[in-house]
Amino acid sequence: MQRTIQGTIQGFQPRLGRRGFMLSALVFGAAATAFPGRVLSQDGRVLRARLYNDVNRLDPAIYENAYNVEVMNLIYPKLVGYKPNAEGWEWQLEAAEAIEQLDDTRIRFKLREGLQWSGGFGEITADDVKYSYERVIDPEIDSPVKGDFGPLSHVEVEDRYSGVIVLNEPFSPLWTIALPYGVGHIVSKAAVEARGGGRFGMELTAFGGPFKVKEWRAGEVTILERNEAWTGEEPAFDEVRLYPIGDPQAGEIAFEAGDIDYTQPSPASLQRYRDDPPAGAVVEDFPALFYVWLGINLDHPKFEDLRVRQAVQNAIDVRLILEAAYFGAAPLATGLIPPGLVGYRPQTLVPPEGDPARARALLEEAGQVGLEVRLAVRNTATFSTAAQIIQAQLNDVGFRCEIDLYDSGVFWTLGSEAEGEQWRDLELVLNRFSSSADPYYATQWFTEAQVGIWNWERFRSERFDELHQAAVRETDQDRRGEMYRQMQDLMEESGAYRFITHEVNAILYRDFIEPAVRPDGVSLFNHFKRA
Amino acid sequence: MWLFLARRIGLAVAIVAVAVTLLYSMIHAVPGDPASVILGPRATPEMREALRERLGLDRPFVVQIGSFFGGVLRGDLGTDIVRDRPVADIVFAQLPYTVVLVLASVGWAALVGIPLGCFSAVRRNSLADRIIGVLSVSFIAVPYFAVSIYALLIFSVGLRWFPSMGVGEPGDPLSQARHLVLPAFAVGLSWVGYIARMVRASMLEVLGDNHVRTARAFGLPERRIVFRYALPIAVLPTITILGVGVGYLISAAVFAEIVFSRPGIGSLLFESVGQRNYPVVMGAVLVTSVLFVVSTTLADLANALLDPRAREKL
Repeated sequence: MQRTIQGTIQGFQPRLGRRGFMLSALVFGAAATAFPGRVLSQDGRVLRARLYNDVNRLDPAIYENAYNVEVMNLIYPKLVGYKPNAEGWEWQLEAAEAIEQLDDTRIRFKLREGLQWSGGFGEITADDVKYSYERVIDPEIDSPVKGDFGPLSHVEVEDRYSGVIVLNEPFSPLWTIALPYGVGHIVSKAAVEARGGGRFGMELTAFGGPFKVKEWRAGEVTILERNEAWTGEEPAFDEVRLYPIGDPQAGEIAFEAGDIDYTQPSPASLQRYRDDPPAGAVVEDFPALFYVWLGINLDHPKFEDLRVRQAVQNAIDVRLILEAAYFGAAPLATGLIPPGLVGYRPQTLVPPEGDPARARALLEEAGQVGLEVRLAVRNTATFSTAAQIIQAQLNDVGFRCEIDLYDSGVFWTLGSEAEGEQWRDLELVLNRFSSSADPYYATQWFTEAQVGIWNWERFRSERFDELHQAAVRETDQDRRGEMYRQMQDLMEESGAYRFITHEVNAILYRDFIEPAVRPDGVSLFNHFKRA
Repeated sequence: MWLFLARRIGLAVAIVAVAVTLLYSMIHAVPGDPASVILGPRATPEMREALRERLGLDRPFVVQIGSFFGGVLRGDLGTDIVRDRPVADIVFAQLPYTVVLVLASVGWAALVGIPLGCFSAVRRNSLADRIIGVLSVSFIAVPYFAVSIYALLIFSVGLRWFPSMGVGEPGDPLSQARHLVLPAFAVGLSWVGYIARMVRASMLEVLGDNHVRTARAFGLPERRIVFRYALPIAVLPTITILGVGVGYLISAAVFAEIVFSRPGIGSLLFESVGQRNYPVVMGAVLVTSVLFVVSTTLADLANALLDPRAREKL
């Protein structure tokens, strides 16, 4: 053995000379450029798009995140869906031929006939609708998103295609966040029961939408191909490839390199793309549904005095934060609810530019000039920039502000009583929540029941709670809107909130695509067309 | 040899156990409730409590870690709460991508670094030696992250020679190779410089040895002396370093996988740490620790097989 090895070493002769090396490099380089090896979409039959995270639960009862919904839109039917590219939050019929509100708690639907499941699971029927909706509220499933269906009681099946959705009490968000969104997707009862029922996560067997999942390579790509069982309008693409790319700037690079055709650029790049878009590319932006605000812990002794809280509110010029942290691309927020939704408040009580002189006077009056305060922020570039602006503005009126940066894991526990006593030390916090197409979704976190859970300002208002309950049941949208405006006034009057922005959603796409989006710019891939 | 292997396996088990226990302790010391992070803002306190129970976070620390090692012995790394899938399935699905990236990076770094170092030593103090020296140190000094970004901007966005993301189509080796070029380039570049410097130093030492002087006295051609009698000896320390270097390269692969949007253990770990996804973090660290120990053991074995002096010590 030893001899063999030694013999091999002694017999070693280098075969790759200088010329050989250069030739190899030339051949390799030529091969690399001659055989691109990419999935090309020049023929426009393949849509390659960025998804901001990898799908993990394509089960409507437990979907949890928006990126799962973007794929579920392609593979499952819904009775109604968001109307693409509409000005406001309108819905349109999809799997339903007709749908009507019989009274405050009953909605009758009739499915279109002939819709089929893939995999030989037959026609899509009212039984599937009943099964899909009721499994969301099934205690066995223990759905994290059952709140989206609110007071759903059950679904009565009238015949093969018709049924009635029955609620325990009126629930206005049913039309905005239940039926057209995540929990509104219909799954095949036969297919789910064939695998034993319960949660099915990523183990998919039947598809009723225009596409079906061909392949899911975790962390790499989700490939969808046309569903041969689909009997609706022919999809514009043969294949949809969704690449999970967490960082928006990595998505921009992939777009510019020609590897994807549709992405969502960051606010930092938006102006650059507006000024100088890549050849054959189009950029658009939409007001998002997020809400970003500066919160003040009302139970912290430093902020007992309303004048100190009002000094914070008045010290902040929101416009400067938007300019520095969002590059001027994000719109001002006047509350929790963005423009276009019921309950949008046209203006804040404290003007966006603030009033530093008043802030100084309030702080002096309260005898708190030089008050040391701490601002908790997540350690992202946008938030740390915003925090530095806030710090400078607070210091300018007489506070002495320090910033504490946290990673997301720690940050999301700061105001939680379940995590111990650390909520007592929380003073100022720059926070951001996502939202949905109904104002109820935004206000639910600020009730007294949420104190110490997600209501980190520990804001308590009986009137707010009453309005929150009443607004969910109110079906007159004008009255409902007035309630939500009052609720946001109450929040601001408490001195615990300074609303900053709803952020912006931008899209960047090649001109052979005709994208379909919700009013907030979120993609509806199932309605994409070829230009 | 067998005794050596038994000793190394014993040592490997100890290293992995210590690494995993340390990490487990660190994860638990960091504030941040995984149940809150995983379930998000919609979770009720009851749901968070149920998840804590499911994760075993309500049990004493010693019981938790004992249970983890018990599971490892049974081949069960636990269940990923975010994806509802066995951790072993997820980790082993990602592992090949990282292994291939690390091997490709080491491979090209060695293929370029060893000849450069050898050439530099043979042409000691020449202009070429100085240029190679400057380049090598520059390669070492540039961070992986910067190389990745600039490689992307130049070769992918600018020239469009190579793809900017992904790992290529399954069953298409050419596509996979093209997707590997830029990440491997970025991860391996600093190792080119490192290996070149190391081989140069080692070669200079060997070229001064008695057996080389004897060969020269016998009138053997210089080329034969370099390639047959000097380089095989000079390259031995590099092999050992490459074994240890695999551990560092796994860290570098984290950056490359994120920048190039590649699946792999690095991006899985990055994502899982942010989510406080304990089971996946533990599974991934266990596997990378094993990988590290295996690579150092293989390097030692290779060294022993190539160097009779080292072999005698086995």
